[in-house]
Amino acid sequence: MSLELIVPDFGLVWPQFVVFLTAIVLSLADAFLPKHLHYRWLTAISLVGYSLGLLLLFGQNGEDRSTFYGLFRADGLTIFLTLVILAAAILTVFISASYIEHLEGRMPIGEFYTLLAFAVLGALLTASAGDLVMLFVGIELSSLATYILTAFAKRRVTALEGALKYFLLGIFASAILLYGMAWVYGSSGTTDLDEIAVQIQGVIAGQDNLDASLLLGLLLVIVGLGFKMAAVPFHFWTPDAYDGAPTPVTGFMSVVPKAAAFAAAVRILIQGLGPLRDDWVQVIAILALVTMVFGNIVAVSQRNVKRMLAYSSIAHTGYMLAGLAAYRAQEGFGTGDGDANQGVSSVLYYLLAYTFMNIGAFAIVVWIQHRGRGMELEDFNGLASVHPLPAAAMTVFMISLMGIPPTIGFYGKYYVIVALIDTDLLWLALAIVLMSAVSAFFYLRVVATMYFSEGQASRTQVQTPLLNVGIAAMVIAVFALGLFSTPIIDLADTWNGALTLAAQTTP
Amino acid sequence: MENFPLLSLIAFLPAVGAVGIMFAPKASSNLPRQIALGSALVSFALSLVMLAAFDRDATFQFTERVEWLPDLGISYFLGVDGIAVLLIVLTTLLSLISIVWSWDTVKDRQREYYIAMLLLETGMIGVFMALDLFIFYIFWELMLIPMALLIGVWGSSNRVYAAIKFFLYTLFGSLLMLVGIVATYQAYYNQTGERTLDILRLQEGVALGAYGSTFQFWVFAAFFIAFAVKVPMFPFHTWLPDAHVEAPTAASVILAAVMLKMGGYGLLRFNLPLFPEGSADWTPVIVTLSIIGIIYGALVALVQPDMKKLVAYSSVSHMGFVTLGLFIGNLQGMDGAMLVMLAHGFNTGGLFLCIGVIYERAHTRNISAFGGIASRMPKWAAYFMIFMFASIGLPGLSGFVGEFLVALGTWDYNPWAALITFSVVIFAAWYMMWMFQRVVFGRASGEAPDVGDTQLLPSERDELAALGGGHNEGAEHGTYDTGGHGGLQPRPVSGGDHGRVDHDEETGGYPTHEGQIDSSKWADLTLKESLTLFPLAALTIIFGIYPKPLLAIVEPSFQAILEGAQRVVGN
Repeated sequence: MSLELIVPDFGLVWPQFVVFLTAIVLSLADAFLPKHLHYRWLTAISLVGYSLGLLLLFGQNGEDRSTFYGLFRADGLTIFLTLVILAAAILTVFISASYIEHLEGRMPIGEFYTLLAFAVLGALLTASAGDLVMLFVGIELSSLATYILTAFAKRRVTALEGALKYFLLGIFASAILLYGMAWVYGSSGTTDLDEIAVQIQGVIAGQDNLDASLLLGLLLVIVGLGFKMAAVPFHFWTPDAYDGAPTPVTGFMSVVPKAAAFAAAVRILIQGLGPLRDDWVQVIAILALVTMVFGNIVAVSQRNVKRMLAYSSIAHTGYMLAGLAAYRAQEGFGTGDGDANQGVSSVLYYLLAYTFMNIGAFAIVVWIQHRGRGMELEDFNGLASVHPLPAAAMTVFMISLMGIPPTIGFYGKYYVIVALIDTDLLWLALAIVLMSAVSAFFYLRVVATMYFSEGQASRTQVQTPLLNVGIAAMVIAVFALGLFSTPIIDLADTWNGALTLAAQTTP
Repeated sequence: MENFPLLSLIAFLPAVGAVGIMFAPKASSNLPRQIALGSALVSFALSLVMLAAFDRDATFQFTERVEWLPDLGISYFLGVDGIAVLLIVLTTLLSLISIVWSWDTVKDRQREYYIAMLLLETGMIGVFMALDLFIFYIFWELMLIPMALLIGVWGSSNRVYAAIKFFLYTLFGSLLMLVGIVATYQAYYNQTGERTLDILRLQEGVALGAYGSTFQFWVFAAFFIAFAVKVPMFPFHTWLPDAHVEAPTAASVILAAVMLKMGGYGLLRFNLPLFPEGSADWTPVIVTLSIIGIIYGALVALVQPDMKKLVAYSSVSHMGFVTLGLFIGNLQGMDGAMLVMLAHGFNTGGLFLCIGVIYERAHTRNISAFGGIASRMPKWAAYFMIFMFASIGLPGLSGFVGEFLVALGTWDYNPWAALITFSVVIFAAWYMMWMFQRVVFGRASGEAPDVGDTQLLPSERDELAALGGGHNEGAEHGTYDTGGHGGLQPRPVSGGDHGRVDHDEETGGYPTHEGQIDSSKWADLTLKESLTLFPLAALTIIFGIYPKPLLAIVEPSFQAILEGAQRVVGN
């Protein structure tokens, strides 16, 4: 091995670097700015930072390149997921600014934004990881920041309980993940994902049955990631953590760590362990089935809207896992879109759709909490007659979560179903469809409560301009992104190019 | 004129109206309904233009196509053939009538009401025009939320249950259809390598052998369940009575007259052309379920105490004729099914409107609470009679031709089935005329028994004796107003708030004498009510006497479908 120092290609990491800078600037500003300026300035810095990151993202083209000795990959997956994560970050700032500042005992906003920035950074690093070590670093960074964010409403007992559960189970999960990665490293001799794929092909080409160490590594990795993405039966932290966290943090938690976990799953399972496809597809499919069934059925019995949304998050994880299970390796990869594998693209698209509709639903809960109502179903009584616009927005998000056209939630589900039928996983497609019907029950219950019940006026009259803008933007996105899906699908499809690196370097 | 987007205009004009209402200033209470009326009127006019310009052949006309998501084979593709044309005109007409009806009967939350009605109209029209499965699905689902809202917000006492039941039932069926859609897409792709959801291309797949027998069997079932819920076929019909009864009148009219037709339309547009072998396999089951539905609907209607529920079950019965006609595989059956669909639209729409008229006055739908309305409201009674007889299938009115053709076609299929079908007509006559007699004829409350009546009950004789005896022997007929006889003064009622929204108990009207409604203060039909009833009555009579123009429009399409089916199934 040569000892030449390869200068990293800094141009590729600009978006991530900008987010890192944002985190630094935020912590410095928190320390040095006078208190009364904190709210406005720190919010502004956050928004500017994430928006700048987004803009820089558009400057990157879809060429697959890697830098930092292969630790950082700039390919279609990176670009798409960076888009999703930064969008989620911006929306989180919109919905959390006023909440953190005014509600639940005035939480320190500077620290909130800093931790948020680090959580986002960790997720971005996971999405762009080309190496097992980088994946782990990214996941850990994101998780640690998120654990603290969960405990932010520290005077509420449920917050501390939820955060502790999340923390303990999370570090167990990280340990299991690391152990699995160690076994994979042991079997392949490298931590670079593309190299792993190459090595594994060599390993399995040379023998009739697979090395047990490889399978063990695969299994442990799936378990570890399963914890992170809240799949069943690794979900036990989810309801309490989601319930305990401040509502905007819950919105963030339901999207960004999940996106990071899915990024890690795609990178490890497809890019790294792609040759083992036949082994893990069945496992993921069963996990998907169990997750969506459990999430939907338990959500039916929830009277607390926030908890209901937590279980619905679990259910949506199931739908995304189903998309992942629809992965089919392409032999002799072509350039035409005719043979494009739609499993991964559908997961990516669903993540984007899920971002808008889920954060939107939580945003409405934040909205009514601002007005002195609680989070129980009864607090939504008659909302439509008292506050028609937020009720309409909530209806939009609910029907998107149900998967009813023309909202983006429908397109996401449709795409996943197409991918599943393409790979002959008909039973999973039917499961998605049946569970969507079940989910309609509890989503519709919210709509019914808002429109069909008698309500009372809200106790607090307050202006929440940033929140309103965020909600309006998400409603528009839910409709518009479905209508203009083509660029998004194309972007999601560019990831298929990442496979060429592995395929081409086969000895 | 070639590229004028007539169909998009017809479909989206109501939606544009809905957006207009959303942005109308809150203060004006007239603007929402004026906008709604305007959009519905223009849509209706345009649909008539489309009807006039339609060529009587089997092609899809006025097509519009825009590529949307080429990777998935999805394009925005609209077009109409004869079947769609007639159903679209039915939709626009009935939406117009419903909006006119709602003019003064909906008082609170008017804006939301008209927005929901207009969005519903867009969804319904779009369903009939869509020639791309994805677009079809979007429009199909689009109808769910507005209809659920209409039932759940402006409906009667048990409205929330009915709305949620309707929603979940229909959604479940639709989701199964979604899997069917994707499966069809996949099968066509596997055969031809082309990704498309264009219905015309997918239909070509039949000839290419893209759909195997087993495939057709299951995918037919997937589509079938969605449409069977909508039709509604026994045993998927249980949402219908609740939805119809609890919905406000205008929503009931639209539900019965238009939305039920979508099930039939779906069967016609997808199940028959795309899956001919599957259709052949499932025909015995469908015929059996249809006949059961016809009989079951009639029998249950017989025992209903609630007028609207009676008409709802009669709808189940009628729609059994439709599915029967579609699947017996001959031209008479299909012609009959189409005519039953259209006739049912007019007749049941008219029936619900008539019931709505007296519900506005009485605030109850309980048959036993009524009596002798004919003497108070003769014009209404006349309209009610027309729709009632048409619903039974009296020759000369529109219901007859369709039912007769279906029964005729069924004879070719299986004589026993035809016998059973014919016999149900008796039940229809029974429940309808019995209801009619109890509600419209007989003695109104507060009315004196007829002195000339030779078959008075003992209680009635006592009443007459108490009144001012001595008039009994045949000299004059008793008068029908209460002023003349001292004793039977009607108790004052506060009835007649025509503007009240229906949030009251089902039987909680203003009972006076023995639980009867006092109808003496009721006015006969208002102008608005006549405006809504007259067109339907006229159409029922005209097409009862001369249905040929309708058949001329749809027959080419039916023949194309039958030929396609026979070619594949191998006749």
